[in-house]
Amino acid sequence: MDLARYAELFLTESREHLSTINHLLLELERAPSASEPVTAIFRSVHTIKGMSATMGYAAVAALSHEMETLLDRVRQRRLPVTPELLDTLFAAADALDRTIEEGAQAGPEDADVAAVVGRLRAIGGAESGLAVRRTADAGSGEATGQLVRVLLEPETPLRGARAFLIVKRAESLGRVHSVAPPLEALQAEEFDRVFTLRIDTVVDRATIERTIRSVGSVEQVLVEQAVVTSAEPVDTSRQAGVPAVARRARHVRMDLRRLDNMMNLIGELVIMRGRLAQLTRPVEDPPLHDAMDQASRLIGELQGEIMLSRMVPVWQVFDRFPRLVRDSARSSGKEVELIVEGKEIELDRSMLDEIGDPVMHLLRNAIDHGIETPAERTQAGKPPSGRLTLTASREKSSVVVRVTDDGHGIDRARVLEKARRLGLVDDGKAELTDDELIRMIGRPGFSTAKQITDLSGRGVGIDVVYTRVRALGGSVEIKTVAGAGTTVTMRLPVTLAIVRALLATVGEATYAVPITHVRETVSLERTRARTVRGAEVLPLREEVLPLIRFRKLLDMPAADHLGMQVIVLEAGDRRLGLIVDELTGQQDIVVKQFDAARGSAAIFSGATILPDGSPALILDVGSLL
Amino acid sequence: MSQTVLICDDAIFMRTMIGDILTQSGFTIVGEAETGVQAIDRYKQLQPDLVTMDIVMPDMGGIDAVREITRIDPEARILMCSAMGQQALVVEAIQAGARDFVVKPFQPSRVLEAVQRVIG
Repeated sequence: MDLARYAELFLTESREHLSTINHLLLELERAPSASEPVTAIFRSVHTIKGMSATMGYAAVAALSHEMETLLDRVRQRRLPVTPELLDTLFAAADALDRTIEEGAQAGPEDADVAAVVGRLRAIGGAESGLAVRRTADAGSGEATGQLVRVLLEPETPLRGARAFLIVKRAESLGRVHSVAPPLEALQAEEFDRVFTLRIDTVVDRATIERTIRSVGSVEQVLVEQAVVTSAEPVDTSRQAGVPAVARRARHVRMDLRRLDNMMNLIGELVIMRGRLAQLTRPVEDPPLHDAMDQASRLIGELQGEIMLSRMVPVWQVFDRFPRLVRDSARSSGKEVELIVEGKEIELDRSMLDEIGDPVMHLLRNAIDHGIETPAERTQAGKPPSGRLTLTASREKSSVVVRVTDDGHGIDRARVLEKARRLGLVDDGKAELTDDELIRMIGRPGFSTAKQITDLSGRGVGIDVVYTRVRALGGSVEIKTVAGAGTTVTMRLPVTLAIVRALLATVGEATYAVPITHVRETVSLERTRARTVRGAEVLPLREEVLPLIRFRKLLDMPAADHLGMQVIVLEAGDRRLGLIVDELTGQQDIVVKQFDAARGSAAIFSGATILPDGSPALILDVGSLL
Repeated sequence: MSQTVLICDDAIFMRTMIGDILTQSGFTIVGEAETGVQAIDRYKQLQPDLVTMDIVMPDMGGIDAVREITRIDPEARILMCSAMGQQALVVEAIQAGARDFVVKPFQPSRVLEAVQRVIG
């Protein structure tokens, strides 16, 4: 059998089970006396064991077997749930995670696996074997019926159950008086390969032999007239409940590469649709236009369907965070309660894969640098346990992921001091706003400087988060209140691959502005733009928006003429007006991403191909706001 | 007409593998179930010639499902799929009415032998 075909299935399914295991372990840690988590963990481990043994993944099978053995004892209340036991199980889950990913590469001799297996066994204690072996034989007592001696094939799996099945089958022939070793011992596999039973029956020996052989795994059957009998009762009344556990919904599984291919193809098709529309427009041919319109609509629907099929709930990534938070909190000597909200919010698979790391950075930062130790918190009049909230929500066409802690906040004075030293702000500047703060600590290299990470509430990696999220076409905001905590908000487009964009021309070139960040467009009548303290602003209804000239960003000469347009961009509470030469319409664009751009290109997050085949740069709105 | 099979296992991995083994030998997989409750529903609905039943399943385990299915149809032919170390559960399943069992890791030849015994 070609096992490679099943490797992918094994991996996806095992990952799901691992996630469940980690979750349930956390649940168990909160409520050590609960029995449901243990039973459910047992089931997941058991499933992994069965699959890995079939795949021939020795390390996974060995690990899961030991875990199962230990969990079984816990399940039967023969072992208490102690912190030590939990730590061991967590360590085992980690080792399981690694070996599952490594698959066939991880052997049972793997040092780490051996160590974990050792721990599992040590905590399980030396189990003193099962019940005392019974040695009763069917050869004592009165003589009656036929004596049937059965020899099972070597390496018969579950010999006990096979023997039981044979006894059952024999009962269909007549009355089975006694079995030796006794049935309970047989069931428990406490025999080698031979057992005997005595049966009162009218059928001939050949039929007995044939019937017993038909059960399978039987190497030899000997039937002879019995001379003795015993009164060993056949116990067939044993009953035990099998635990029932709540279930989560499942979906059809699909290879991710196939989904990505579909996405790429539909992307190309969308571009081709634009190209076709442009080519057919000047042609005077109503039926052609009808066909074009229909094709266009169908492509649109197909695109919608493919996009939907790529949407996955954020819990698929968020689910690993409770564990991460627990571990980080433990190692930094803090108490942290993680609250996760909006787990069901859906994101494009590609986007979800990308935000895992930034969120992880933010959570770690909050624990390492934001939340205080229990002693510090008590002194500050806060509850000893810090509260960390991770929220996902939909806002218009974007997804907002927010990490909030109730720690001591970012030390603005320190950041300002550092910014001054680096010449990033005027010496006269007295205070940093939230916007300025994020711009400072979001600068590559700024926050990774040692003194800041030690002194500021948060620091390490925020520039990584900032850069990453911007590369995804999103934006980051920070709000921090001294002594009360910090909130980092990431705003992301729902998908990476195809976004709706506003096309604008500046000079000869066309640029794409993701519609996610466009609030409205207004045509610029020069009389309405004003200059306030040397900066151009646009009064719009109740607000006064700062204005940026796209031409200036591109180092192009100003070319004021009537009909220039202002695109009002927004991210969170921040808005500004971007002046472009002309607007040329809206378009679904297929995003080809850049790596984090530097220099003048830093205001672009990617490129796309327009319907006429020409390339266009995609504006990174987050970088302007 | 080929014999029909209902596969009950909560792991898609196992369902796929059993399905492949049986399909290659000319069986028709008429349905799959992920839970004991589903297994019973599908059995009533599909009346398959053979049922392969995992022991440990959510909702209602395989053994309870066997009990219920054989209550509905005493002639039901059910093959248990078990793992090493589930001796007691397999015995219980047999008591509940299962006809035979195979043990994971599956060897296609063993699975087919067991299927033949159950069907034959």
